[in-house]
Parts: sequence; structure tokens; C-alpha cells
Amino acid sequence: MGYKVKLPLFEGPFDLLVYLIESARMDIYDIRVSEITAQYLEYIENMQQMDVSVSSEFMVLAAELIELKSRMLLPRQSADPDQAPPEDPRSELVARILEYKTFKTLSGYLSEREEHGFMVREKPQEDISQYLESPDEYLTLEMGQFVQAFNAFLLRKKRVEEIRTRYERIEREKITAEARMTFIQSLLRQHHGKEVNFKETIKEGDRYDTALSFSSMLEMIRQKKLTAEQKALFADIYLKEADPQGLKEVK
Amino acid sequence: MAASKQVRSALESMMFVWGEPLAVRTAADVLNVSEAETKEAFEALMEEYDQEQRGIRVRRINKGYQFVTAEENGTYIERLCTPVKRRRLSQSALEVLAIIAYKQPVTKGEIEAIRGIRCDRVIEGLMNKDLVEVKGRSEAIGRPNLYGTTDAFLRYFDLEDIKQLPDIQDIEQVMELPEDYEDSVTMNQISLADMTGEGAAEEAAPHAAAEDADAPEGDEL
Repeated sequence: MGYKVKLPLFEGPFDLLVYLIESARMDIYDIRVSEITAQYLEYIENMQQMDVSVSSEFMVLAAELIELKSRMLLPRQSADPDQAPPEDPRSELVARILEYKTFKTLSGYLSEREEHGFMVREKPQEDISQYLESPDEYLTLEMGQFVQAFNAFLLRKKRVEEIRTRYERIEREKITAEARMTFIQSLLRQHHGKEVNFKETIKEGDRYDTALSFSSMLEMIRQKKLTAEQKALFADIYLKEADPQGLKEVK
Repeated sequence: MAASKQVRSALESMMFVWGEPLAVRTAADVLNVSEAETKEAFEALMEEYDQEQRGIRVRRINKGYQFVTAEENGTYIERLCTPVKRRRLSQSALEVLAIIAYKQPVTKGEIEAIRGIRCDRVIEGLMNKDLVEVKGRSEAIGRPNLYGTTDAFLRYFDLEDIKQLPDIQDIEQVMELPEDYEDSVTMNQISLADMTGEGAAEEAAPHAAAEDADAPEGDEL
């Protein structure tokens, strides 16, 4: 959350422009573009000198005014006298200013209504639970509202479930793989260098669990944390903590 | 007549308990009478309270009615409940609200085109105050949200419904003929009409609207 600092009156570039036009007592249908552009730019320059960062919106209107000023310099008669002459280049700006002024006036009206609104008080909804046999909440909804709310509920539920399945799956796999390696290591430590049957590292006994122990074992062999031996095909595998000698060799 | 008196009495009691605007439909369902009859009874009550200048009045908000205090007693309420909480809306919030109220459903882009400045914060604030809400999505590129006013908006400004706002055409007329410039404006309108032909003024407006619609896209470049 940033801070919003506002300078006195101006709510935006149009607000400034309207102010300038009105204080120059200019007719809105006959704006002296060059004069108003100069004033507008001067104001922006002043703002910049006072080290106030001028928002880009003010710059956009400045550019538009300058463009308009240049267009005013071009001759406006069309070559063919029968054709309607091209429209005043200012008319678009005038329309926009008028529209803005309309809503500014309306905002003044709302401000008056706001005062009326302040003077009228309503009572908050009574707690009617004391009148109810079982204090259930009843919703008075239009059918459309209800359907909308229900759809929103379904959608949210679906999303939450989607996230939950993914989230849980990832979490379980990640933790168990690491935990299993730690478990095997501590198991080997407990046996102080003696051999441990691979079957002892399997907790649950299902296929996933066996595969996890096996891949953990392979990973630990790779990291030279243990050695494994299998005397014959399909025979039991025996694990042994890697001897410190071997570790030194690796280093 | 007797039935109607009974309905009015029932509505009074219900409004007293309910506090919030009581929807005509809900009341009609409870009383098992037609919505038209219920509405008529509400209106009759409203008139009764007004004529008798009671301290409590009946106020309509869209399709519901509620009890509120009389406006003329506002100052007494304020003296009774001090210090008074009065946080007025900012000028920019009022401007954005005015645009939304009259142009709804309206996109943020359209609001920004009229004001010539970004409105995200303001709209966010108005949404938090529950004065405006998202009414749907526009078919335009990016499917932007369409904003509109809420019943809370009507209550805040003490309006019966959105139609109670002054006609925008009246405002425009006042604006286009400011007293100071009346003479010069009339002259200029003539000269403008001479210069551009009669159709030009009508053409100018939609053209400007099209330009406005482009503006927000230009912003992002």
C-alpha cells in the first residue's frame, strides 16, 4: 500500500484544464488553445519545480494539447467548396471537457445528497434470534442470487480441492523420501557397523514403501553413506554403514 | 378497507423488527397478500408518517421499505450521539460514483477515459464501502468488470431508487449554457453551425466516444 498524496483541488488533468479555462473566463466552445496550453504547461512546470512528481496522465493531456495547438495552425478549408468543411479540431476536446464537467457537477449533487443521508438514521437489523425457536439463519435471496452464490461455492470448492490434492501429494513424497534416508542412517548407526537386512528398512510393506526404501538405498550408495551386498539373485540385501576409510578415499 | 388497515399495521410491526429495508416480496409472502397490495400499504404508511410529521418515517430503498429517523431531527440525534462520525467521501470518490451511477454498467476503462486519470484505488475504496459492486463482465477485450451501484449506495445518499437522481440531460443543458457566456455561446453556436453544417455537432459526440474507448489501451503501451 503506497501513500496517496493529493495536491489541493485538482483531481486529474481535466480538472486542471477546466479550472484554467474557467479562470481565464474562456468560452468552452472557443478555447484559445495556444493560451491554455501555455498555462497548462506552466502549471506542470511549477509542480515539477516544487519537486512534485507529475503523474503521467497530466503529461498525456499536455501532449494532446500541444498536438491540438499544431493542428489549429493548419488551414481548415477543404479543396472542394461543395464538401462540408472539416470539423473544428477542438470539438473532440470540447466534448470530453463537457462530459467531465457534467460528472463533476453531478458529483456536487451527490455531495449534497450525502449531507441529507447523514441526517437520516436507520436502525441496524434487529437480532431476531430470540424470536426464533431454533435460531437458524434464513436467507432471503432472489433465485438468481442464490444460483450465483451456489455456483461460486461450487467453483471455490473445486479449486480448493484441486489445490489440496496437489499440495498433499507433493508434501508427502518430499518429506517421506528425505525421512526414509534419515531413518536408514539412524538404523545403521544403531547397529554400529553391523549388517542390517534391507527388509528392516521397510515400514509399511506396500509396493510404494518398498520402492521408496530401495531408491533411498540407491541414493545413499551414490552418496557413499552405505554399502549394500546381495549374495545371490533374489536373496536378502544386507546394508552396512560405509566405513570411514572409504569416505576418506572419496575426499 | 379493514383488511388493508390490518396489512398496514402488520407492516409497521415487521419494519420495526426488521430494521433493514424489508422487501415487498418478503412482506407479501409473510402476509399472504399480493405484492401490489403490500406495496400500496407501504406507500400509504409512508404518506401517513409524512403527513403527521412523525419522528420516524418510512423510506423506500429500491424494492424494500424501512423505518428511518426524520431528516429534520438529524441535528438532535447528533447532539444525542456525540461525537458524531461523519466521514465524507472524497471528491474523486464522488466523481467516480457519479460516473458509475449514471453510466452503469460501466468498465474501469470508461470511467478513466472520462476522468483522464487512473481510478483503481478509488474503485477499490468504493467496493470496500459496498457502494459499488461488480455487476458482470463486458464483452470487450480482456472481459473487464462492469461496475454498478448497490442498495447501500441508495441508502447512503437517501435515494429511493436510481431514477431519483437528476436527469443527466438537464445537467448537460445547464452546463452548455453558463449564464456568464450566454451571449457569446449563442453566437459561437451559430458560427460553429455555419462552419460545420448541421450534422457535424451530432457526429462529433460518437466520434469522441470512440476516441475515449481507445484511450485506456493506449495507456498501457
